[in-house]
Amino acid sequence: MSLNTLTFSVKGDAGAALKAPVHHGVVGSGDMEVLMEPKAQDGAVSVSIVTPVAGFDDLWKRVLQTFVSQSGLSDAHLDINDNNATPAVVLLRLRQAMTEAQAN
Amino acid sequence: MDATESMMGRGREAIDMIVDPESFTENAIGAKTFDDPDFGPCAAVGTATLDGQTVTIIASDGQAFNERFPVVYAGIIGMEEGYKMAQAVYASLEADADKPKEEKRPLVLIVDTPGNGPGKVEEIFGMNKATGAYQLALAEARLAGHPIIAMVIGRAISGAFLCHGLQADNILSLDASFGTMIHVMPLTSVSRIIRKDLEVLEELSKSNPVFAAGPQFFYALGGVEELVDQTDKMRAAIIDHIATVRAAKAAGQDDTLGPWGRGALGAERDGRVVRPKVMDLMNQEFAAVAGQYAPQR
Amino acid sequence: MPKWNDLQGRSFLESNARDRAVGLVDEGTFTELAGPFDRFYSPHLETLGEAVEFDDGIVTGVGRVGVTPVFVISQEGKFIGGSVGEVGGAKMVNAIRLAIEFHDTLAAAHPDLTDAEKPIVVISFETGGVRLHESNAGLLAHAEVMDQLQKARGKVPVIAVIGSKVGCFGGMGFVAAATDCIVMSEFGRLGLTGPEVIEQEMGKEEFDSGDRALVFRTTGGKHKYIVGDCNYLVADTLGAFHDQIAELATKSLADFEAMRRIGSPEKVAQQLRGVALAAEMQPKDARDVWAHAGNADPVALTDMPLPDFLAQVKRLSV
Repeated sequence: MSLNTLTFSVKGDAGAALKAPVHHGVVGSGDMEVLMEPKAQDGAVSVSIVTPVAGFDDLWKRVLQTFVSQSGLSDAHLDINDNNATPAVVLLRLRQAMTEAQAN
Repeated sequence: MDATESMMGRGREAIDMIVDPESFTENAIGAKTFDDPDFGPCAAVGTATLDGQTVTIIASDGQAFNERFPVVYAGIIGMEEGYKMAQAVYASLEADADKPKEEKRPLVLIVDTPGNGPGKVEEIFGMNKATGAYQLALAEARLAGHPIIAMVIGRAISGAFLCHGLQADNILSLDASFGTMIHVMPLTSVSRIIRKDLEVLEELSKSNPVFAAGPQFFYALGGVEELVDQTDKMRAAIIDHIATVRAAKAAGQDDTLGPWGRGALGAERDGRVVRPKVMDLMNQEFAAVAGQYAPQR
Repeated sequence: MPKWNDLQGRSFLESNARDRAVGLVDEGTFTELAGPFDRFYSPHLETLGEAVEFDDGIVTGVGRVGVTPVFVISQEGKFIGGSVGEVGGAKMVNAIRLAIEFHDTLAAAHPDLTDAEKPIVVISFETGGVRLHESNAGLLAHAEVMDQLQKARGKVPVIAVIGSKVGCFGGMGFVAAATDCIVMSEFGRLGLTGPEVIEQEMGKEEFDSGDRALVFRTTGGKHKYIVGDCNYLVADTLGAFHDQIAELATKSLADFEAMRRIGSPEKVAQQLRGVALAAEMQPKDARDVWAHAGNADPVALTDMPLPDFLAQVKRLSV
């Protein structure tokens, strides 16, 4: 009984690098929060997810891959606290975070 | 545990075990008298001497029943009780208003309370104010120099312990062998509500005192200064703590007392170690921007 | 972060803790302290394998309203019901402590410090009190908050704002009662023992927690306004709360003292007159008290639009 931490990296296209760090979301039930920070690492987007749910590593990777290729995000690190968010919610929160980052 | 030793429901007996023989006068504190015998019966208040010095006594009476407010019995703090206890504190402040700090009378809280009045009438008229009023009065008296010692003899449950106990300078508790209960909820209820196995929680509580029920866990978190292992040691322990608290106040060490002092004690006993780190960081972060928030002239 | 101007029109009820913290102070003035990038989450939730949050469900920081420094504490109900544990509790305690310390620094540096220039604390409550996962630490934090509230007396006014989904219950119910001034929307709820707990302990006869209308009548903003347990009832927008705070920020300590419910022998004597009335009336419903206060048609008050309600409601005086 402890939290699971999942870390991996997704290859990003050199494109939309973050100008400033952004925080978005609340860790409600079925929801998550994310910290997105710029990090120069040859385009890659590194991800660290802390979640009570184990066993969905591949799903997380696919969702993050989808987000990164759709958004064009690159050279960033993402810290996610999850509480059973569905893939759809994860994608929504990540896109909202990205929108906020670009608006600032 | 020897069941006959339990002090639960025996707040009035505890008064006699603690103060000088025959010295307790109920319902009189300084110039203030409480003349209605039916008012706030679950709290017994009055004046006694302890080792010769005048003290205010505020005790739970676990045998009483408040006929005007039927949810208030067995040591529950109802609206009348909360305000009565607050009045007992204000009467102590008033009685010693002209005395120097080092001569302010001590307040001894005898704690055996299972809760605050859980009723609809209470919510309609604002039970939260009554329990808040008593806490503010205690904090005011503590900061004014009155030594306040809480002695947990039975139940010190959640909001009722916040109300009657946790604003004291120092808190003493009979140890777990007396069946003393200090908690927000029994572990069985915690287990049900947060949906974690009881066995797992019990195992975890061996290394982390933060959610388990019992005086020893509060001791480990710095929430209780001292555990007392015999009822006939209560008197001497309270006398000791009054002296220690008085000395600390005279030395200007108020920060080692009360809820704030127990914060430091929690870190010292390795019970609450993140608390000071969060505070330090906030202090640093604020110091960096404070100038922006000062008057610009 | 949404634009400040957009936030002002936003429903307070629907706003999360950070948006409230930002929107309750003036545009662009909020600095978060121990924010999510500091990553101070609860070690105890982690031990239990429960989801954590980088701010532990409490946003703390400092902003300005006009020339007034405002220390803000804002609780997030979506994260474990806004419950208070070791980390969130420490943030809350220290925000008040910093305000007192800042007051003392400013007062020493500026003997002519005006009322408006003195710091205030604003607490946006959304909580049921102690977090059960770390209940003992949460309880001890509550005691520290009460201690700081008394230490703030005569220096730093503390304003409670209540209008979020979870309401303000448990130990935080008496923390709110111990502040100087309470601002609510009609959707705000304030109490000590939640209706569910009363029903569970005392039975459905005592309190039927399934009766949502009864629950709202007993703990809601309109009732609290009638009985004097809240000072101001405002519209459900962040802007309305912000403007109320701005109006309060210029008031004197004596003005704030007069708004208090508890905290002196005189206030306690006044509350005891209310308790005597409660004993005499034994109200079955908050409406009984509304009628006693002189409201001829208490039923009509529930759904009355706020401006009409404020224009015609009679408040209880004891």
